[in-house]
Amino acid sequence: MHRETVETVAFRAGYLALFALMVTPLLVVIATSFSDGARIAFPPENLSLAWYGEFFDRINWLEAFTNSILVGVGTAVLATALGVLGAFGQEFDDGLLGTVVAPLVLVPLLIPPVVLGITLLIYFNEVGLRGSYASIILAHTLWATPLVYFVMRSVFSRFDWQQLDAAHDLGAGPVQSFVHVVLPNVKHGVFVGGLLAFIISLQEFVMALFLSTSSTETIPVLAWTELRQAMDPMVSVVSTFLILISLGTLVLAVIATNLEWVSKQLS
Amino acid sequence: MTEIPSTATSTPSNPISSAWSRLTTQSGSRRALLLMAPLIVFELLIFVIPFAILLRISFAAPSSDGVYADGTWSLEAYQQVLATDLIWSIVGYSFFLGAVVTVLSVAIGLFYAYAIWRSSGLVKSLLLFSVVLPLLTTLVIRTYAFDPLLQPAGLLYSTVGVVIAQLYIVLPYAVLAIYSVMATTDWHVVEAARDLGASRPRSVLEVVVPQVMPGIIVATVVSFAWSVGAYAAPELLSNNITFAIYVEQLMLSDMSYPTAAALSAVMLGLMSLCIAAIFGVLNRFGGEFELA
Repeated sequence: MHRETVETVAFRAGYLALFALMVTPLLVVIATSFSDGARIAFPPENLSLAWYGEFFDRINWLEAFTNSILVGVGTAVLATALGVLGAFGQEFDDGLLGTVVAPLVLVPLLIPPVVLGITLLIYFNEVGLRGSYASIILAHTLWATPLVYFVMRSVFSRFDWQQLDAAHDLGAGPVQSFVHVVLPNVKHGVFVGGLLAFIISLQEFVMALFLSTSSTETIPVLAWTELRQAMDPMVSVVSTFLILISLGTLVLAVIATNLEWVSKQLS
Repeated sequence: MTEIPSTATSTPSNPISSAWSRLTTQSGSRRALLLMAPLIVFELLIFVIPFAILLRISFAAPSSDGVYADGTWSLEAYQQVLATDLIWSIVGYSFFLGAVVTVLSVAIGLFYAYAIWRSSGLVKSLLLFSVVLPLLTTLVIRTYAFDPLLQPAGLLYSTVGVVIAQLYIVLPYAVLAIYSVMATTDWHVVEAARDLGASRPRSVLEVVVPQVMPGIIVATVVSFAWSVGAYAAPELLSNNITFAIYVEQLMLSDMSYPTAAALSAVMLGLMSLCIAAIFGVLNRFGGEFELA
């Protein structure tokens, strides 16, 4: 009995300590954004909103924000289209194609981003896409597509395929039956996949670092280059905004999934 | 990766053409091929061809005026990579960092996933939240957060500091990979083991671990691949150079493309061998795991 109590206490202490360790770095970033000094310090000596005021005067951060959204949306659209179609096609596959496609889609995730970055830099130089938004979107799609693909495969594995046969028997064409029969059943998965793709693009920076120019740099790239020059609280301010956006996304996703659950209970 | 059945490679060589005819004669496969075509074309254009070009450049002779001598064949870049002690020490450091972070990440990830699995209600939500929030935060910020944290502790510019920061980067992925498998396993089996007299740590190691082995394998491979290729944490928080940082230097500062390409190829080869070994070893523990 006594030994079990000790074990339980140790177990709780262990995961509470880990919880604290997971959250602390993000709290530190938020705290340092309120300092008035020129270099980040924790805890901040004087609290002020000076760096927040400064943020709205700096046009490059706003431009980077626009770039991030543009690249993120492009990546989400492209990766979702490729991933959903690919996973859907996999359902009609006799196994031969899938054994090649699944690992091919997965492998880019395991290649160090620096190696992917230089590979694509050389390639986009040759095909004349260097410095374009397209080059960053294509690079990010390489990482976002596997996630959409694997989310959709697990979603499609739970789909009742007899519905599709029924639609065909009733005379629906392939596009018609996909839009009216398959899509409504898997739209939740498509949404989650697209959101994941958007998030991947929003936070990726090593490939973007190689592929972007001053006019196409995303927020993480600008944050990185500014950090190399000065460890000032401006990056903390931007980070705080990003953490708040992430928090908002998380809350939205929780609400969305719960609404789904509620509507399922009602119907 | 080379035998992809696509329109570009439908040359009448035997295995490919027979695979091709098998694909096109079955109506289900034709539909599959049509639907998967955009994905296959994308992977070919943005992944396979760029890597073929990189590999080709690794066999080109370095050039004094430009980045590499077009159209030449040479093993000079590989010789340079294999013969330079500095490169070997950088490669060694990268693998050391990868190994240490992977072991810690999988051990802690297993413990944290288990804690999430066993908790309920608000605690469970908070624990999951603590994993997902860093995951949604960009790598730059996750790394940058450790500057003010490590400095007062005297760990800035030390290997310990880099390990901690890199661990923080990969841990969320490890926890989620293990948790996603754990969430589908049956708790009653663990209870049965305890009723039969297994201690709690023993029941976890002998009953839970083998069941979640697929998740552990994913966690190990992801932690390993991303930590060996670490760029941000060592660059920002230490003076030690990893292979990723060195590849960047070779490319952007030294402009020696063949060496950068050859080093990348060597690293990818070594990493593939390690990942294959990880699969081999961990798969064996999937069935029966014996605690001495």
